[in-house]
Formats: sequence, C-alpha cells, structure tokens
Amino acid sequence: MPSSSPRLAWIWAVAVFCCAVIAGPGSADAQTRAETLRQVTANTINTLDPTMAGATREAFGLSMNVYDRLVAFTRKPRGNGYIFEKDKLRGELAESYTVSPDGLKFTFKLKRDAKFHDGTPVTADDVKWSLDRHVSSKSLAASQLATGSLTKPEQFKVIDPYTFEVTLDKPDRFALPNLAIVYAIVFNSKLAKSKATPDDPWAQGWLKDNTAGSGAYTIETFKLGEQIVLKRNEEWTGGIDGKPAPFKRIIMQTVPEAATRASLVEKGDADISIDLAASDVLSLESKGRLKIVSTPQFNAFSLIAFNTKAPPFDNVKVRQAIAAALPYGDLFKAAIFQRGQPLYQGKWASAPETSDFPQAMPVQQDLARAKALLAEAGFANGFETTFSFNVGSAAVSEPIAALTKEALAKIGIKVDVQKVPDAQMSTFINEKKVPFFLEASIAWLPSTDYFFRVFFTGPQRWNYSSWDNAEIASLTDQARFELDPARYDTQTRRMIALAAAEVPAILLWQPNQDAVMAPAIEGYTYWFHRQVDFRDLARKGS
Amino acid sequence: MTTSTLNHVAYVLRGNLVTAAAAAGTALLIAVAILGPWITPYDPIASNVSIALQPPSFAHWAGTDQLGRDIASRIIAATRLDLLIAASAVSLSFVVGALIGSLCGYHGGRVDRWIGRVVDILMAFPLFVLAMAMVAALGNRVENIIYATALINLPFYIRFARAEVNVRRNLGWVEAARASGNSHFQVVTHFLLPNILPAMAVQISLNLGWAILNAAGLSFIGLGVQPPTPEWGIMVAEGARHITTGKWWLVAFPGLALMLAVLCFNLLGDGLRDILDPRMRT
Amino acid sequence: MTTLASISRRTGTRFVSSLPALLGVVVFTFILMRVLPGDPAVFFASGPNAGKAEIEEVRRLMGLDQPLLYQLALYLRDIATGNLGRSLTTGQPVLADIQQRLPASLELTFTALVLALTLALPLGIAAALNPGKLVDHAVRFACTLGVCVPTFVSGLLLIYAFYYLLGWAPDPTGRLDIFAQAPPRITGFLLIDSLIARDGTTGLAAASQLILPAATMALFVLAPLARMTRASMLAVLGSDFIRTADAMGLSRARVVGVYALRNAMLPVLTIAGIVFSTMLGANVLVEKVFSWPGVASYALDALLASDYAPVQGFVLLMASIFVVVNLTIDVLYGIADPRIGIE
Repeated sequence: MPSSSPRLAWIWAVAVFCCAVIAGPGSADAQTRAETLRQVTANTINTLDPTMAGATREAFGLSMNVYDRLVAFTRKPRGNGYIFEKDKLRGELAESYTVSPDGLKFTFKLKRDAKFHDGTPVTADDVKWSLDRHVSSKSLAASQLATGSLTKPEQFKVIDPYTFEVTLDKPDRFALPNLAIVYAIVFNSKLAKSKATPDDPWAQGWLKDNTAGSGAYTIETFKLGEQIVLKRNEEWTGGIDGKPAPFKRIIMQTVPEAATRASLVEKGDADISIDLAASDVLSLESKGRLKIVSTPQFNAFSLIAFNTKAPPFDNVKVRQAIAAALPYGDLFKAAIFQRGQPLYQGKWASAPETSDFPQAMPVQQDLARAKALLAEAGFANGFETTFSFNVGSAAVSEPIAALTKEALAKIGIKVDVQKVPDAQMSTFINEKKVPFFLEASIAWLPSTDYFFRVFFTGPQRWNYSSWDNAEIASLTDQARFELDPARYDTQTRRMIALAAAEVPAILLWQPNQDAVMAPAIEGYTYWFHRQVDFRDLARKGS
Repeated sequence: MTTSTLNHVAYVLRGNLVTAAAAAGTALLIAVAILGPWITPYDPIASNVSIALQPPSFAHWAGTDQLGRDIASRIIAATRLDLLIAASAVSLSFVVGALIGSLCGYHGGRVDRWIGRVVDILMAFPLFVLAMAMVAALGNRVENIIYATALINLPFYIRFARAEVNVRRNLGWVEAARASGNSHFQVVTHFLLPNILPAMAVQISLNLGWAILNAAGLSFIGLGVQPPTPEWGIMVAEGARHITTGKWWLVAFPGLALMLAVLCFNLLGDGLRDILDPRMRT
Repeated sequence: MTTLASISRRTGTRFVSSLPALLGVVVFTFILMRVLPGDPAVFFASGPNAGKAEIEEVRRLMGLDQPLLYQLALYLRDIATGNLGRSLTTGQPVLADIQQRLPASLELTFTALVLALTLALPLGIAAALNPGKLVDHAVRFACTLGVCVPTFVSGLLLIYAFYYLLGWAPDPTGRLDIFAQAPPRITGFLLIDSLIARDGTTGLAAASQLILPAATMALFVLAPLARMTRASMLAVLGSDFIRTADAMGLSRARVVGVYALRNAMLPVLTIAGIVFSTMLGANVLVEKVFSWPGVASYALDALLASDYAPVQGFVLLMASIFVVVNLTIDVLYGIADPRIGIE
C-alpha cells in the first residue's frame, strides 16, 4: 500500500472496491444532524397498526407518535427525566372532557383545529369509527378495552361533529385510562373506509402497511426489519402546548447486537437507546460521558412462577420453601447489577404497610426454614424439577437460573435448567406445560386490583402460576368497581397479604429501564408502554 | 501398523513441525479432557457473586465471570464436553455415513440411486440453518446438538465412502475376498471399509474442528447446551458481548481454548493427508 | 451434435433430475417446522390481554387449524403458484421479504468470495511453488487460523478494532450509512445501483460498509480455497505438458501464470461454487453481528419465533440457489472441457 496513514489505507481499500464507480454528484443533502434523532433498538417494528395480533413493543411506541388518542397521560419529573402519571389525564384530540356525576357518561369536546395528515379535520365520526373498530374487529384492542368496560359500539355516540360521548353500564375507573393507551388510536375514517373491502371492513390489511392518523409524526420511509424514518407533522395539535414536536426527523434503526448498540451511542452516532445490556450501561455510566435516565419500571415485574395446579408446586409449603431458599441479593446483583427496585425482603410479616402493588414481599433466604418447610411438605429428600426461561432473555435469566439451581441443590431439590426459544416458551406458558419458570411482565394500567385480576386470576396466559383462589377472585371482582377509597384499600391489602401467605409466585424485582442518550437530549419520559415517545425529546441548544 | 509406516510417520513428523505440534496439542487436549475434574483449581459451577467479573489475578488466572465463577476451571471442565460433542457427532456421521456410502458404492443400482437422492436433498439444505432448526425442534440438549451436527456431516461421508468404494470394488483383492466365500456384507465391512479408513481419517480430523465451531455458533444464537454447564462456545458467545466494556478475559481465554482445539484438528488433518498420500508432498 | 446443444441438453437433464431433491427439501422443512414445539399463534397473539379467542383467530388465519397433510398440499400448491406464504414477524409476503433481502446477502457473499479468492489464489500458488518449504507452512498455518475463529467472534473483534477503537470503519449498522441517500433500486445491489446512478459517494459509502462483514466471511473460507489452489497447482505443475513447456524454454512466469494456472482453475472453481452456496446459507451469524438485512438473519428470526413460512421460503431459496450454482459450474466445466459428457 503506497499510503503511510492507516486512515488513508482504509480509504484506499474502499476505493479499490469502487474503482469502477465514476464519481457523480454528491448525494444526501446532509439533513442537519442536530434536528434528527437516531434511536437504535434490538427489535423491529412489524406493523404500523398496533392493534394487530403480533405487534411488537416497538410498534406500540411508534403508534404513539404517528397517531393521537382522545386523551393522554401526563408526566412528572423524576431524577434527570420524567415518568408518566397514571391517574392524571389530559386531552390529546379532546380539548376538554367531562364525567357525569354518576360516572357513567364521558363527554369529549374535540379540538377544532386538529387535522389528519392528509388535511381532513378530525371529527367525532372518526372517533366513533375508530372505537367501533377497536371493540368489534378481531384484534388485540377488544380484550384490552374490555378491561375498562368498553365492549360494544352502542357505547359510543356522536353528538355533533366536535362532541363525542361514551357511556358505561357501571362506573369503571379504567374506562378513561383505556382511552389513553396504545390501542385507542383514532383513525382517519374516510381514508380507512376507502381502503376497506367486504372481507376486511376495518381496513386491517391496509392499515398494517399504511397510516391514517393525526399524530406528531408522519412516516417518511419504512423498511421492515431495518429502519423507519419519521418526519415531523408541522400541523400537529395534540401536544401540551399545541406546538409541533421538537425533532424534525426521527430515525429508528434495528441493531440486533447489544454491544454494537452500546458502541453507537457511546461514539455519538446514535442519540438514544433503551435496550442496552446492563453490563454496557454500567460501563457507560462509569465513563460518565453520556446521559442515563434510569427508571424502575414500576408497572412491571420479574417473577419466578410455579404451576400451582400440579405437584409438587400445588403444595404451598413447597412454594414457601423455595421462596426461603433463594439468594435474593446475589440474584439481584448477578442478573441485573442491582439496577432496579427489589421486590423481596419486605419489612412486614402478615399485613402489608401499603396497598401498592407490586411491592417488596416478606421473603428472604433462610435455608434452615426452607429445609424444615420442605420436610413438612413431605419432601425431606427433595425432588427433581425443571426451571425454564426464554432465549431472548438469556443475558438476565441465565445467572438467575444458575444461582437458583445452585441454591435449591442445597435443600435437596435437583433442578434441570431449560433455555427455550421464545416462541416455544410462549406456548409452554400458555398451555401451562412448565412447572417452574422465569417470566417478566407488565401492566399498562398499574393498579393493585388490575395486577391481581390480570396476573393472579382466571385461566388466561398471564396467570402464570394458574393460581386459583376463591377469595382473590371475589376480591378482584369487588375492587374493580369499588368507588370508596377506604374499602378499596382494605380489599387490595387483603389481596397482597394472601399472595404473601400463599406464594403463588416469587416476585424478584422491577428492573430499571436504562435510557442511554447523548448528554444534550432532554425530556426523556418513562411511559407505560416502555418505549421512547419522540414527542417528549429535544436537543439542548438547538 | 508396520515398521515402515511408523518410520514414514516419524519422518513426516520430523520434517513437519507444524503437524508434530498439532499432534502434541491434540494429545494435550485429550489429556485435559480425561483429567478435567481432577485438575480444575475451583468448582466450575460454584458461584461467588462477591468476586464477579474480576480480571485475571494470581488466584484466578483467567479471571471470573458474571457469577464469580473461575473461568480457568470452566475452560478446563468444558474441554471434555466439547471434545465429546465433536467426537460423538463425527463418529456417528462417520459410522453411519461410511456404512451407507460403501454399501451404495459396492452395490450400485436402485438403492444407490435412491440414497443418492436423499443425499442430494441433504446437500441442498443450508446446513447451519438445518442444524438450528433441528436443535430448536428437538430441544437444546447435548444429545440433540450431537445429532444435528452428525446429520449435517452425513452427506459428505456418504459421498466420500461411496466414491472410494466404487473405484475399489472391482479390484483384484476384492474379487479374491468375494471368491473365498465372504458374503457381500462381510466384503464391505471386513475388507473395503478398513481399506478406505485412512483416506477418511483426514476428513474426520477436519470435521472435528468444524463440529466444535458449529456448536459454538449454535450457542451464540441461544441454541447451545443448557446453563450452567460450561462449554467453550457459550463462554465465547457470552464473553463476546463484553468486548466493548473492556472485560477482555471473558472472551479471550475461552476463545483461545476453542481456537487451539480447532487449529490442532485442522493441522492434524492436513498432516494426516501428507502421511497417507506422500504424493501430495512431491 | 454441436458442443452447445450437448451442453444445453446436459443442463436440462441435470435440472430435471434435481427437481425431486428440491421437492424433498420442501417436504422435509415443512415437517421439521411442524415438529417445533412452539405454537406460532400463541407467540403472535401476545398482547397484554390476548386470550384464547385471539389465539384461535391467529391460528385460523395461519391455517393451523387444518390437518397436516392438507396444510402440506396447500403449501405445495402455493409454491407452484409462486406464493411462499406470509411472514408473521414482518407481516409481509415471504416472497416480497426475500426479494427485498436477497440482494443484500448476495452482495455480501459475492464480495466476500472475491476478497477470499484474491487472497487465496496468490497464497495457494505461492505454497504450490514452494512445497514443504517455509512459505508453504506459513500459508497453511495462516489460512487454518482463519477457520479457527468463529465468525461471530472475528466479526465482533473487527468491529471493536476498526470502528470502536480506531474509528476507520463506518458504524456497523447495515448496508448503507443511515444519512446517505440510497441509489434508486434497480438491481438491489447497492454497488451496481450506484454505478448505474453514477453516484460515487453512495458507492463508496456502500463499499465501506461491506468491507468488515465481507472480510469476516472471507477469513473463514480462505483455507479451503487456498488449499484447493495449492493441491490443484501441484498436480498441474507435475504434469507432462508443463514439463514440456518448461523444456521448450518458456519463461517460468508464463508457464505458471498462464498454462498451469488456467488448468488448475477448474477444481478451484468447483470449490468456489460450493463455498458460495454454503456461505450464503451459513452467514447467519455475520448478518446478525453486522445488522445486515440479509435473508439468513431473516430466517433465523423467523425460526426462533416459530414463524414457519419464512424459514420454509428461505430453505427452498437456498436449495434452489445450490442447484443453480451447481448447474452453472457444470456448464462452465462443459465449456472448459468438452470431453465431459453426460454420465
């Protein structure tokens, strides 16, 4: 190589490749980098319609930015970022809303200047069509909205082009929050209807690859599985101040290797990433050149679940024994480097101090007690079982599995660890085929009774432990529609106490969401959907 | 082995230090695999979270991993499993492949054509993806990794054995064996197979290295052996993710062990070729 | 019979005889995917509140509620009409996904192969000219070293060195710098498309993205190519006509570079063909490490999600490419050496 500088050598190597390429006009009128935000993610966006079965979490995040809903959650500062407020809502497409005194009727006044991306105004007809679609079409939306007693089109009424009414049969405190979640997006009904077919009256096929929204961003390019580029909607009215979003352009790119994502952010080539490996976050933090917003995911949890329907885990003493055998501190340290909120070593015994959930449960390692409990359960010599987790979570789960295996060996339980591909794990959990496993989950609308209803009752997948407790079932039914705060408090405390006594699952922790970003990025908010809401972000000094 | 062959081997080893070194390296690996449990300084799966992720030191000369386990002990303990996976997979495909292949080569005809078709099908598969799919379908356990690796090696052995037997089947000594009352099966197993064995040894040695790499690749995408079992591929795959955080020992030492093994098998295979086929040396 | 007619007839026969193998590949993959214990319907109906009804709906949409043989018959009929099904991971028809992604894989594999050949040929020739000498051993050792490192390790190391530490390479995120403008898609090969568009900047950008992943793959296939070059050269150099040429007093460079090399190329070509089709299917790990939007990483993601259609489509594609590459080599052989006839 005739060059002396290595940099030159590189360029040389490149030049050899393109010796045939005749230099043409310079491409890419370099978009001003400062006005562009580049996010790198592990997963892909697989649909533009978040209600489609199989939509990824990234698709949820995207829909927040491309579509508007009637209402939105507000946020409050926390540390060097923000966190969403689950009990305080504001209008997004609605200018204002009122709730009737009996709690059965919600009246929304729509913003008169709100427009869809094609310029047509947003009217109550669009809202009606969209909500009708959510409760009637085959999608993920119907069952979610049902948790807020929104189940049939008759509940949605157009009063005039800018007034819309929702009625309930029973007061339900989840009705309004359900209109702020990912699924409750409002479509441009004229556009969507023009794409509908007799087979597909809700235009689900078309909306998967196209958008018909009024949100803060429009889609400039969408390369499935690679990247998506968003362009700011200058006419957007859904923000708190009614102004367009700060960034002109957003690039969301899929980079499967965690180490590469970390390098990209560290070198400043990417502006933000929310799914780095914990070890990378630690090392970036120690270097101190980037901004890291760490938020305990207070609406999520990691847990170890038992199949409480089959032996040996149908025996409460076995579950208590295992809860007393685990080295919680080591698990917390080895798996997530203590980046989170522990849900063990609660300071209470039989009655919880608050009615919040998830909260730290009263479990800690006590091998003597564990052995005694196991003997009482009739397993003095232990037993054999399997412990499963999914490949996708291996970075966190493998240390947990190894330590659990080691700890349970001390009380005579022989554990066979099984790392299973993600799709298989979903099947096993759904069909209740795994006796003892690791899982992490999230509730969009975090309230104690909602958690218990979703995760500890009924035959659905999310009741990981298949826990069937008559008292919990009746408590969740009561608490769901309970309007008296004192009674609600008593009911939910009882649920927590029951879970502590019966140990249907062992709660481990709420992992932090570590959003790592360039120091100049401001406004990062932790949202219920755990994705980046680009509308919040701005670059300092531009 | 006759004295003259031994002399030839000695001659080649003297003249070819690389092959000699590879043979020594292989011997060392086998020794470590056999002695494994007795020479690990620590229990390879005992955790000690308080000393997690420590760089190499006098006590832990290859450092410790995320659970505070001694990496050197894990590498030593993994040798047996890795060699076992490679050796079982390769011998499985060799035995089955050589038998089927030589029967095809000997008999020819319809059976040969049908088996040829099946081999064509196997050859046309993207082999690594086939291994992935098999392990995903059967569950990631050691035996399934072995079966998958054996299956994707199988077509090469069948083809090789078929071709080798095909050129020999009408030679005089085969005719003689047949004429002296041996059954066809006996001719194949007692006369033809031993005769083509040396030629196949080269392939076997090369494949051993390849089988280890294959297992490492499966580990990287999460289809390797189950934790906390120590295995080079998993250790490398996990360590590789720490490259940017400066924890080089997590990938360097298991990586070196893996490289050493593959290198030895490959160079040994080359050396065997030289020993068996002096013509190639000109 | 003219040579051309003989070649085309031979090609036709070979093509027809490879069809049963392709059918076998399709059926075998179909069965293998059904053996996977994962139920794609459950995986894809994973909204926070998806219940039994949603899962049944997904299953019905995917046709998973039908008997297996019926599903297979439907699938074969679909393939015959060019429909490879729909991917649940991306939500697109598999054929469209593959069309989108195949050029990326092909471009990477071609570049890697060219890179490997430009290194392997001189190395192999050098080794063949000095058999048993230091050069020979050094070449063999260096090439073997390349095969010993798993591609995901060498890839990550190259990224660490050239992107993270030295900063010479562009960020390893796919085929083109995110801020560069892609050339209008004509062939899907970025180098060719930018050549057509006469856009040097983009061509340069695309090439610099290609170097690291291509080098990673090239390192891995150097050994078989160099080994075959050496062996083939040795055989040719020992043959009578080379001795004759030498005896006639032709220059050594001419004898080696023209007469010997030309004759030694045929086996190398065969190996290159095999290497190409294996590389294309086996570069899963390289594509993952470099966020390369190719077909192999597409198949891997689908496999882990128990998403049947893309895996089946991918395997069929790879098998077809394998057949086509073999045919091409055959034809080239036939042209180079007309003595080879139909078996």
